[in-house]
Amino acid sequence: MAKQSKPSMSRALQRRENIAGYLFMLPSLIFFIGFVVIPMVICIFTSLTDMNMHDPGLFGNFVGLSNFTRLWQDTAFLAALKNTFIIVIVSVPTVCAFSLWVSSAIYRLKGPVLSAFRCIFYLPVVTGSVAVTVVWKWMYDNYTGIFNHVLKSAGLIEQNINWLGDPKFALWCIILILFTTSVGQPIVLYVSALGNVDTTLVEAAQVDGATDFQVFWKVKWAQMLPTTLYILVITTINSFQCFALIQLLTKGGAGTDTVMYRIYWTAFKLTEQAGHFGYANAMGVVLAIFIGLLSALQFKLAKEK
Amino acid sequence: MKMKKLIAAALAMAMALSLAACGGGGQTSTPGNNTSGSGSQTPAQSTPATPSGGTEISLWTYPIGDWGKEDKVKAITDAFTADTGITVKVEYLAYADGDDKVNSAITAENAPDLIMEGPERLVTNWGDKGYLVDLSDMIDDTDRSEINAAAMAACTHSNGSVYEYPLVITAHCMAINLNAFKEAGADQYLDLENHTWTTENFIKAVDALYAKYNAPVGAVFCKGQGGDQGTRALVNNLYGGTFATASHDKYTWDDPLNIKALEQLKSMKGIAFDASLEGGDEIKVFYQGVLKMAFCWNIAQQLNPNQADTGAGLTAGGDEIVFMGFPSESGKPALQGGIWGFGIFDNGDQAKIDAAKTFIKWMCDSEHTVDAVKTANYFAARSAAEGTDLSGIWADNEIMNEYQVLMPYLGDYYQVTTGWAGARTEWWNMLQEVGNGQDITTSVNTHVAAANALAAG
Amino acid sequence: MKIENGRGRAYKIMSIVILIILAFLFTFPLYWIVTGAFKNGADINATKPIWLPTEWVGTNFEKLMKQRTVPLWEIFLPFGSFFNNGEKVVLTAGPDAPAAFRWLINAVFMSVAAMLLTCLTAAMAGYALAKKRFNGRAILFSLIVCAMALPKQVILIPLLKEMASLRLYDSLWAVIFPTVGWPFGVFLMKQFSESIPGEILEAARIDGSSEWNTFSTVVMPMIKPGIGALAIFTFINCWNDYFIQLVMLASGSNFTIPLGIATLQAETSIDNGLLMAGATLAAAPIIIVFLIFQKYFTQGITMGAVKG
Repeated sequence: MAKQSKPSMSRALQRRENIAGYLFMLPSLIFFIGFVVIPMVICIFTSLTDMNMHDPGLFGNFVGLSNFTRLWQDTAFLAALKNTFIIVIVSVPTVCAFSLWVSSAIYRLKGPVLSAFRCIFYLPVVTGSVAVTVVWKWMYDNYTGIFNHVLKSAGLIEQNINWLGDPKFALWCIILILFTTSVGQPIVLYVSALGNVDTTLVEAAQVDGATDFQVFWKVKWAQMLPTTLYILVITTINSFQCFALIQLLTKGGAGTDTVMYRIYWTAFKLTEQAGHFGYANAMGVVLAIFIGLLSALQFKLAKEK
Repeated sequence: MKMKKLIAAALAMAMALSLAACGGGGQTSTPGNNTSGSGSQTPAQSTPATPSGGTEISLWTYPIGDWGKEDKVKAITDAFTADTGITVKVEYLAYADGDDKVNSAITAENAPDLIMEGPERLVTNWGDKGYLVDLSDMIDDTDRSEINAAAMAACTHSNGSVYEYPLVITAHCMAINLNAFKEAGADQYLDLENHTWTTENFIKAVDALYAKYNAPVGAVFCKGQGGDQGTRALVNNLYGGTFATASHDKYTWDDPLNIKALEQLKSMKGIAFDASLEGGDEIKVFYQGVLKMAFCWNIAQQLNPNQADTGAGLTAGGDEIVFMGFPSESGKPALQGGIWGFGIFDNGDQAKIDAAKTFIKWMCDSEHTVDAVKTANYFAARSAAEGTDLSGIWADNEIMNEYQVLMPYLGDYYQVTTGWAGARTEWWNMLQEVGNGQDITTSVNTHVAAANALAAG
Repeated sequence: MKIENGRGRAYKIMSIVILIILAFLFTFPLYWIVTGAFKNGADINATKPIWLPTEWVGTNFEKLMKQRTVPLWEIFLPFGSFFNNGEKVVLTAGPDAPAAFRWLINAVFMSVAAMLLTCLTAAMAGYALAKKRFNGRAILFSLIVCAMALPKQVILIPLLKEMASLRLYDSLWAVIFPTVGWPFGVFLMKQFSESIPGEILEAARIDGSSEWNTFSTVVMPMIKPGIGALAIFTFINCWNDYFIQLVMLASGSNFTIPLGIATLQAETSIDNGLLMAGATLAAAPIIIVFLIFQKYFTQGITMGAVKG
């Protein structure tokens, strides 16, 4: 951890530290404030206005919280919110559990084998979101996709399943793709976390007659909590941001609309409802609040343990 | 150590590239090199070398026939540049996300000078919102007498402004796989001479095909708005329903005749409501020979199915494609028209607006109109242009000639009904609900009500 | 020592089998992309999947190359238009070339530029946050952590407006700058810089080394693995950030390869062979980068997380 600064730093020294500190921060701050903080402030501010595409002027008129009250009556938005939560609630635990299992199965393998496996599970990430989406779209295809072909030849289904067109399946299909592109980093992290587990503690526990399960739960898991927390947070953020999959596969149809896609839709799609930037920004603010709350909750839970 | 070297190498590469770029920049300002898109992007540097006029305008075009293909478009814009000295920078939009692109460009105050599409976008949307220039000063009485009256009406906003100068028109139709129909013994239901059929025969044909192939043979595609004129025409024609009032101020697709048609389609095993397809996807699946009929079809598709360059009127497997009117009880369909032309965005630069008008005049009303129309693979929107007769320009093309039989069936161009962009969203959302087995009457009523709320403003 | 009993062994064998199946499933999409890219028209349009191309052909790549032509390389000078009567300053080089090449170059340029800028600014800021006791440090750091958790897409509309007024819309800089501004890198670099012993810095200071010298000769070498990790991370993220590319880039000559492929799909969902050829082109560079830097990457992301 950082070295504690001396309680009584001389004034000259403090000034020197200030100047040096801010000079070092400056390049980063220009980008951070210019392209993150300012837009964010504008976003929050305009969510309280009726800013839209068609009226001149940057901000529109102040309308208080009416954008937000309107959101709670907007069935399309509520459906999108629900889908977003389904994606998060399903994918976050499964990604965590899956990557934990894979890592515990591979972390003791020989070097080259281990890194081969690590690479393979990372492959969908580095293939790139668009390339991955394009190929999955083809694999899911109702008429010529391999899924239907394989299931049909295996005799499991009789008629083609319309994977991306049927609300019973579409969201799950998207979660599956999201899943394959999300487990790469957690696996890398867990493998090294498992490798770093203090072996003396494990051995001590084994000498004390602990079962494998107890060793895992009481000793290893406890040491991997920080890693798990980090994985939870990044997976949550990733799942909330799911956009390319929706835009390229279903365009929010078949019960797969998400808040991210809804924002884009409200802002730019050619409909009479489009171009309402204030309203779209309000959705963004709501999404941000939910992500913030969820991350805080995860931190709190992890701290309590 | 290694890391450092790699980063250094990357840096060196980036610098070398930008140096190369600088060197190249010098070259582009030499005369004679700036007709390419590259030089024209640097007006400040290339001004001395540009011919008279010297203006550069940007054109964004949707894939309207071959106006979506670079080599064809380049040929015609190069001819225009040679003639007028105005350079044209073309961007190609897709129906799937082109609208979003235009909207975000408008937001960023970066809209193109020219846009090529139909009245449903140009007149009812961007024109209506005040982004486009009124073109009525380009149209005199001679033009009015030459331009197809329905097209002219569709291109004119209710406030009297003309926001689109029409270039080409067509009638949208459907297509069938004749080999598959023959195999299933369903070709007896087709009137191949007139390219029409009745609702009764359509139902029989689909049943026969389903019996033969045991899988859906036609898809009511509803992933998005792409190609939705096909699904609308199918539903409307089946029992003679309408989509909107003749005065284009209200949606009427809650007409019991349409509900009957939707119920009929939903009950047919050979017809799938497919939310994974849009018009373009449906064409692909039809082209692959999987679906035996396509509801999103027109003459440009007939000439080059799926844009695959594998022969006019043939599927991937070499089956014969026949274009057909939509089935109707009387056998006389009301076909949805397509009207495409140019609109001009008002970006506040009069020189560019004038250049864009020159472009429109050159393309739509001059001796070059023949080429512009032929590039689109559709029929001319006018009978003659500045003395050139346009009625017979396709005389040497057998398929185009045959397609003429459908043109008399052109129905009302209702796509300029107020609230159109929102209404078509309601339409495909409704089809998805119907496909999922929701109550048809309720779903139709809800969505028509929503569309009419938009129409009322 | 753990004793291998029968059940343990059975479990082990089973898990290996499952792992191999999973490995197959995870590689399959890539396999399908690459084989699809080399299939001929008949194989692509076949209604039954063809597991291996009946013949390996390059026609899909030829078609991809024929899609559009744009100048091979242009560099747009950010803010240049403010000094040039409002006209864009664009330097152009090279002959007209297939757009796919240009998209590839654009994507590489974009990702490399974002990577270099991020690494430099983040290393400096991370060092300052970890080692400099300046006023307001704690507030800045919490602001950075908060901003990290927010999805950057929610600020899309203000960002678009801002880019338009800076006249950066429809240029790669509109993608690069927000990527650099994203504070994850600063956070990561701070974690790494924490581990630098204060005594070394103190010693450098006493030796009379300037602040910048200390940073470049003492600090940088010590946080190298972190920079390596951040470099790859930024590269991959920037490459994959389809959303911001979609909104910020308008003209075909400014597309990146992922955006170009997505546009091709929108235009011609029609031709899977063409799409797979594009996807191959889009995936190859980043997979190569990953394989080369893999070691740094796994090291780096692990350290960043563990210290977080």
